[in-house]
Amino acid sequence: MKYIEFVNNLIKQEVIKHDNLVLFGQNINAGSCLGGLTRGLKVKENSKIINSTNSENSLCGLGFGLLMGGTHSVFFMKQLDFLLLGIDHLVNTFNIIRNMDYFKSKASFTIMPIIVDNGYQGPQSSLNNFSDFCSIARVSGYTITNKSDAEKIISSELIKPGFRIICVSQRLFQEELLIPEKLEYVNKENTVFQYSVGQDATIVCFNLSFPYGFELSKRLKNKGASCSLFTINSPVEYDWSKIIDDLKITKKLVIFEDSKSVNTNVPAFLSDSLASCKLDKKIIIKRKIDESWLNPISDALEINYDEIVSQLL
Amino acid sequence: MIEPKTAIVKEILKNRMYQLLVNQKYKEKKFKIPIHLALGHETIATSVSNIMSKNDSLILSHRNIAYNLARLGSLKPILDEYFLEKNGLMKGKLGSMNLINPNYGVIYSSSILGNSFSVAAGIALSYQMTGSDGITIVLGGDGSIEEGSFHESMLMLKSLNLSALVIIENNEWSMSTRIDERRHPINLQKFCEAYDVKYTKLEGNNPFTYIEILKNLKESSLKTKSPICIEVMVTTLGDWTMETPEFPNGKFINYHAGPTPSVDVTQGLSPLRKTNEDPIYALEQIFEKAELDQIKNEIKLECSEEL
Repeated sequence: MKYIEFVNNLIKQEVIKHDNLVLFGQNINAGSCLGGLTRGLKVKENSKIINSTNSENSLCGLGFGLLMGGTHSVFFMKQLDFLLLGIDHLVNTFNIIRNMDYFKSKASFTIMPIIVDNGYQGPQSSLNNFSDFCSIARVSGYTITNKSDAEKIISSELIKPGFRIICVSQRLFQEELLIPEKLEYVNKENTVFQYSVGQDATIVCFNLSFPYGFELSKRLKNKGASCSLFTINSPVEYDWSKIIDDLKITKKLVIFEDSKSVNTNVPAFLSDSLASCKLDKKIIIKRKIDESWLNPISDALEINYDEIVSQLL
Repeated sequence: MIEPKTAIVKEILKNRMYQLLVNQKYKEKKFKIPIHLALGHETIATSVSNIMSKNDSLILSHRNIAYNLARLGSLKPILDEYFLEKNGLMKGKLGSMNLINPNYGVIYSSSILGNSFSVAAGIALSYQMTGSDGITIVLGGDGSIEEGSFHESMLMLKSLNLSALVIIENNEWSMSTRIDERRHPINLQKFCEAYDVKYTKLEGNNPFTYIEILKNLKESSLKTKSPICIEVMVTTLGDWTMETPEFPNGKFINYHAGPTPSVDVTQGLSPLRKTNEDPIYALEQIFEKAELDQIKNEIKLECSEEL
């Protein structure tokens, strides 16, 4: 099954359960239905699906207004950079809501943008800096990268009192769903996931970089080695004690980070890790920002897995 | 329920007196927060408050003092909020520009121009979803209609068949700039026509006319499931002249925020301007003098401790 089919099915299963719910966004039940993300959505009789106007700023305000009125909503958005137009609401309107107990448990509002990270878009329409949106007002945010995190995040976070942003990766839309063999651990906030426990390396994937870490873990396994594989699914996560405990055993760290932002939590994670344990090996794979980074090129990271494996073993 | 005429007049005058008291404390530098007084906005605020029912929502701007006073009917909790005290109206968590009072229908106040229109659309949609008989009333100024979100939200309200009163307080100023110094005039009526949104203009500060019209517009909006735009002409009183090296004879300063030095609480409930731009002067033209004086005396007595 493709990633997008799986995510779409999970959304369909979730939204049909809820009363007094509005699903809205541009073309969410027309045309390609946002590349399949919102295809075939059905809601209860007391809920509604709206193919909305093209007004992202006001659509963000609409969602917060629905929350204030006690109605749940999900705003599906074709690409993350459209959300730039709604930042006023992410900051100013949300600040009022979370500062008042009166609003805190009234209803749910989730924005679900597609991060256009497949590349070839040109200077515009290729923003993948999810962390910037979340950090600007300390907004809860989640990335969906595989079967396990998709199931947990959509069932637990898509519709629950309060506000958050949940992102999906366009790069993965037509890829086969990545299915980790196990889910060893997930914290109660659904922001740190562990998929395997090993002795030879600790792999930590930020933003939407799980596929790279997953591939590396398979290659290590093929060489008879074992690794601990983690994802940090929120750009505003600050408790990585579970990962640091693991690092104390493996002493070898590999980080994947595919965001174009300078504002990621990799430096904070590294700082905390190095303060707690002495590492024998530290490999950081992140995006190169060179003179071509705004050209219509691939957004995939260039990774020499064989070289990484040889450095680790 | 619409109140008797004397009660409405008393509310308008109390609204003015409370603001005079706030201004006095402001001049004495007793507040740490910025406050945008609304001297001159008392009639529209009282009128809107009078047409509100239990399930209605009021969405305000940073210049919300007249409306919050009209809804609450007393000064102390608001004053305590301005002092950021724990027994303030919102426990000192909101201050002035974002002050709300959900128990009295004031759901949201935004200090960001144009921000509140789409939030109002969301609240109106929530009413539609739950079958509420309430209406959403959203306030903005003439500056806010320059924002794209005003246009987006009007389109959204109309497209989604939502009942709402969109009230634009036009004081013809944006901070220190007159509209005609800054931009081409916006014909709000024609704009509304383009979206097939009913438009009404209010001016003159006659509260009984305002209430009657607003009551009818509210019923119409609820019945037709369509927003209605109301442009109300207001004059934000409290201007003064400031002498500067560049303007030795004094430069006109239109009131925007902070204390106004030209208004003093000892002036009491006399008009600040002898035209219908001042709600008190307008009341003097339509209400019997003896009765008006009696109400003014009652208010002075009620506020004697603060005075």
